[in-house]
Amino acid sequence: MNQQISSELKPRIIVCLDVDKGRVVKGTNFKQLRDMGDPIELALQYEQQGADELVFLDISASNENRPTALKLVTDIACNLSIPFTVGGGLKKLDDVRAFLDAGADKVALNTTAILQPEIIDQTALAYGSQCVVVAIDVDKDEQQNLGVYINGGRKLTDKVFFDWTKEVADRGAGEILLTAMHKDGTGSGFDTKLTSKVSNQVTVQVIASGGAKNEKHYLDAFQNGADACLAAGMFHSGEYTVGQVKGYLEANGLNIRKV
Amino acid sequence: MTKILIVDTKAGNLFSLRAAIERLDLAVEIKDKPPADKYGAIVIPGQGRFGTVLSNLRKNNWVPFLEEARQKRIPMLGICVGMQIFFEASDEDPDAAGFGWFKGKAERLDFPKKPMVGWADLETINSARNWPKEPVYFVNSFAVKNSDKSIATTIYGERFCAAIQQGSFTGVQFHPEKSAQCGSEIIRQSLTITGELA
Repeated sequence: MNQQISSELKPRIIVCLDVDKGRVVKGTNFKQLRDMGDPIELALQYEQQGADELVFLDISASNENRPTALKLVTDIACNLSIPFTVGGGLKKLDDVRAFLDAGADKVALNTTAILQPEIIDQTALAYGSQCVVVAIDVDKDEQQNLGVYINGGRKLTDKVFFDWTKEVADRGAGEILLTAMHKDGTGSGFDTKLTSKVSNQVTVQVIASGGAKNEKHYLDAFQNGADACLAAGMFHSGEYTVGQVKGYLEANGLNIRKV
Repeated sequence: MTKILIVDTKAGNLFSLRAAIERLDLAVEIKDKPPADKYGAIVIPGQGRFGTVLSNLRKNNWVPFLEEARQKRIPMLGICVGMQIFFEASDEDPDAAGFGWFKGKAERLDFPKKPMVGWADLETINSARNWPKEPVYFVNSFAVKNSDKSIATTIYGERFCAAIQQGSFTGVQFHPEKSAQCGSEIIRQSLTITGELA
């Protein structure tokens, strides 16, 4: 292995759980949600498998479920002994505050970060950059143009991709969660070129997301500048455990965190 | 063992820390003012800014309480900024004076990516040699580079002090409450340590 590992931090594997009304769900599309189980039980399973972090998305999507969502976050904080991020539906600084105070280690901001970018600065100032993950949904069209999307990938914004990645880092994001929509669901691996470009452009960590189907995709991403990789489907389907992917990475010379 | 006191520095939630200690079958109480009761060990949590944590502690008269606990050799664990405040100063808030129990200051280090977020290995010496040989979770922009009380170091861009120990006091730059089984064991050892003031 000749690849340069730029830091002594372990490459992280992050498992993403979609939560709706207090249950983990799996959506084949936006309408059909399949119940996957209890968030805490699943979270603990992934912790035992060796996940380095977890992300809970859409935990807070609707306001009427807010108290339940906050209680769930506190329950997760009391049960998990690895870090976790919550995201989806955080619309204002008060939402961010509520979820961090309830026990989340970090919040992921996506649509809100685009609509009110100052929320990145405000959260970083109040809680520190380490709490702020800015999620960027990017799609590449046939002409190879990169578009930044919001509202769960449904709405194209006028943001210039590399300006936006720089701006979020300058505003105080602690990490960038980069989801390549053109890779999502393809099973052809992470967009390692794009991840690498962003990783070299900004001095914050970049989490690659979208497109992973096997253990080689992780190796490829980590060798190309990803600081962390996030996936959902390939672990939820039971096809792979986090431990299996980590075993492969270790066998290929990566300095992963063993469990 | 008698119950464990978490000092509420009013700078962040304490759910994870409390739960991590309770998982060791220890009773925990969180107080924002110095209590009259006796505690088996004291934990100073790792959230918030250097200056804010110090001013909150001073405002609530924690200083004599912590000094006395140190003299009485009650095990004490300071986490992240909860360790840094016992040094002399920090680049984070240059105007705020630390407790000065230990020489040196927290500096903005030359991390490859900032803040440092993630798992890293420790290189342990002396009293940390019984700690599990597993990575721990770091979240920080500032750290103490060198300390004569250092018992563990790590490297991220440059080598810095990951843990210190003096007498019954253990300080860790990482977050043991977020460091899975390994962190749990480090908390256990830190809360049961007995040592003379050097």
